[in-house]
Amino acid sequence: MKTDEIRTASVCWSCRAASAGEHFCPACGKIQPLPYGTDYFTFFSLPRKLRVDPAELERRFHKLSWQLHPDHFVRASERERELSLERSSQLNDAYRTLRDSISRVEYLLAQAGLRKQGQQKQQAPPELLEEVFELNESLDELRVARKAGSSNGELADLRKRLETEQESFQQKLAEVDAELEDVFGEWDAALDAGANDALRSKLMARMNELLNRRSYIRNLVASVRQELAEA
Amino acid sequence: MGRVVGIDLGTTYSLIALFDKATSGPRCIPGPYGETLCPSVVSVDANGSVIVGEAARRRLLTQPDRTIYSVKRLMGRGVADVQDELKIFPFRIDAGSQHVIRVRLGDRVFTPPEISAFILRELKSWAEEYLGEPVDRAVITVPAYFNDAQRQATRDAGRLAGLEVLRLVNEPTAAALAYGLHEKQRGRVAVYDFGGGTFDISILKLISTGEGDIYQVLSTSGDTHLGGDDIDNLLQSIVRDEMRAEFGLDLTQHPEAVQELRKALIGAKHELSSAEAATVKFALPAGGVYVREITRAEFEKWIEPIIARTMGPVKQALADAVLSASEMEEIVLVGGSTRVPLVRRTVEQFFGRRPHAELNPDEVVALGAAVQADILEGGVKNMLLLDVTPLALGIETMGGVVAKIIPRNSTVPASAQEMFTTGVDNQTGIDLHVLQGERELAKDCRSLARFQLKVPPAPAGLARVEVKFLIDANGILQVAARDLRSGEQRSLEVQPSYGLTNAEIEKMLEESIEHAEQDFSERQLIEARNEGESMLHATEKALSQPQAAELDPDERSRIDVAMAALRAAMAGTDYKLVRARVDELNQATLDLAERMMNRALATALEGKRLEEV
Repeated sequence: MKTDEIRTASVCWSCRAASAGEHFCPACGKIQPLPYGTDYFTFFSLPRKLRVDPAELERRFHKLSWQLHPDHFVRASERERELSLERSSQLNDAYRTLRDSISRVEYLLAQAGLRKQGQQKQQAPPELLEEVFELNESLDELRVARKAGSSNGELADLRKRLETEQESFQQKLAEVDAELEDVFGEWDAALDAGANDALRSKLMARMNELLNRRSYIRNLVASVRQELAEA
Repeated sequence: MGRVVGIDLGTTYSLIALFDKATSGPRCIPGPYGETLCPSVVSVDANGSVIVGEAARRRLLTQPDRTIYSVKRLMGRGVADVQDELKIFPFRIDAGSQHVIRVRLGDRVFTPPEISAFILRELKSWAEEYLGEPVDRAVITVPAYFNDAQRQATRDAGRLAGLEVLRLVNEPTAAALAYGLHEKQRGRVAVYDFGGGTFDISILKLISTGEGDIYQVLSTSGDTHLGGDDIDNLLQSIVRDEMRAEFGLDLTQHPEAVQELRKALIGAKHELSSAEAATVKFALPAGGVYVREITRAEFEKWIEPIIARTMGPVKQALADAVLSASEMEEIVLVGGSTRVPLVRRTVEQFFGRRPHAELNPDEVVALGAAVQADILEGGVKNMLLLDVTPLALGIETMGGVVAKIIPRNSTVPASAQEMFTTGVDNQTGIDLHVLQGERELAKDCRSLARFQLKVPPAPAGLARVEVKFLIDANGILQVAARDLRSGEQRSLEVQPSYGLTNAEIEKMLEESIEHAEQDFSERQLIEARNEGESMLHATEKALSQPQAAELDPDERSRIDVAMAALRAAMAGTDYKLVRARVDELNQATLDLAERMMNRALATALEGKRLEEV
């Protein structure tokens, strides 16, 4: 994926003038169909960078909303109404995906065929195996103790141990996020420098691995939280 | 083309409004008697005429089996969904109901969209009378938390009433639009909309941009079965329990008395919004009178759990918008139930801010709908509304698990593409089940539709069908499929799980054309005559009671004159005159009614020792 923006050349459905995938025909101003496979970054005329200024993204979202929203096409032809629906739904999908840094990088990797969006890895990263094992043991002990009707003091001790372990995983989550943030910066710099495919692939693989670790830890923390809430 | 209007199709009341170009503002249109609120009550009389609004509401007392209120609770729902409601609401569901509920009114049977269409038709006629020109397009409001089936049912009702529904707008959003125009508000706004049957909370951000103002909904939550109705039902069950204990009386045997009691209790509820206490006096069908003073404190203790139920969705909406209560800059109250002082106090305490209630909470939603109607007409150009879908959209996968494809609170229109293939050789169809809801399992979510993708026979896994799910600006789902191997669009036959099919709507439309629409004033005349009839009947009944003998001759002759005048008016064709004569007779019989009530009271008190009273 060398080019930072993918544009598909086409011809305006209304006046037959040439266009390059813009929202509106440069010649007659009519709304244009969405070329198949237009990606979210291109939709916002943004480079495929991972550090995005939220205020700027929102500004673009609002500007495009004014132009594309179906409210402004109620009295237009049926074709234009359909296109407005298509483009404005794509706008909203794109904004929803790009405004959150995690869903943004997941999208980038999904586009590159590296992962399925919203995918959750259930396999423990090897370097966490030991701690995960300990955590699961504590969880089991708490469950058994609750079933056996152990004393409050005993339960409180087990809770405390779990809470400490949970905090340690929370800490790890923060580390993963910080690391991801760093790789985002490296990715953006690589784009600016016109880096080769090998470097890009390497960065993407690293981000993919960090995302897997992140989703694993998040699930773990969520299940501990649930267990503590029930206990 | 005719005019475009905004309609608030409410559980208890409905209203119609239009955007007045002269004043650059919306206004509600009054009905034939000057009221802007049209009770959402429909009645069918013995010769098949349909009566809507105030006249129908009066018939709740005389003809409860031919009259229906709160039909909005049945919109877009299946028979199994409404079992709880049936314990409280006097809906007579027809035994033949399947994926659409059918309600019996006298000897006729209607679906909820047809009944709602009668209300819309009535409002449409108000506007046409007022404007002197036809009205054929409308923006109709729905609770923000309405699901796809409930929205479709509302749109069907519009179609059946001869209206092109330009847009369904969420009620709290409409209210925000009306407020924004009125107060020039900016910033983060929470709209707390507690109506007759539904509760919604919406969190919005109002932004000024170079092109104009954007009303962006950040999140919404609610309960489509929580409203003033629940307060009324609670009061009824408390009072009926007391009656059973005190008089050994079971009111279920007296449907007319049930409606009479409901009316009395709603009156007391309204009174308690300003007074510290209200007294319910109710003449029992078997003789005797139930008298009960309800204090504000007692009332608030009773309803506190109902009000508390609104706070769950409020907290959820704030969490989804990633905002805290103190970050909200404006709080707007909408809906009649926000007149209850406990509701205001609860909201004010939670947000730590005094809520806005400058605009009439009954009218503000209809006013906002009229603003949106004008935006769609190209009138107001500097306002844009960005709303969200209240519930996640998902598809059923292996093991009955739901895969979410569009999360809740996504700005609409929103879409998602999914790829499907075959699992066995020569399979010619792929079954899909689309659902709405937050839960993990299909059985806990709301089924929207099932359909089958047709594919040519081929080895397993070879087919590639891309399905595009799109939630449009009305919050309604559209589905399109494309065979990626052939590039062909695949047609889909979507069988809605709840709701009318296109063919059913067409058939109903044809039938409604056959039953040619009555002229507006003709219909008003029929309604007024019906009302006169029941007034005469009630008066004659009262005059046959022993207490009537106590009337002094002057009073008696005033009543006789008023009755004769009403009969004369009913023989004519001026509906306004009939209404005026009904009111006069009502006035003339006030003393008689009072006397009868006192007499009933005295009878009830006779034989009781003083300290018991």
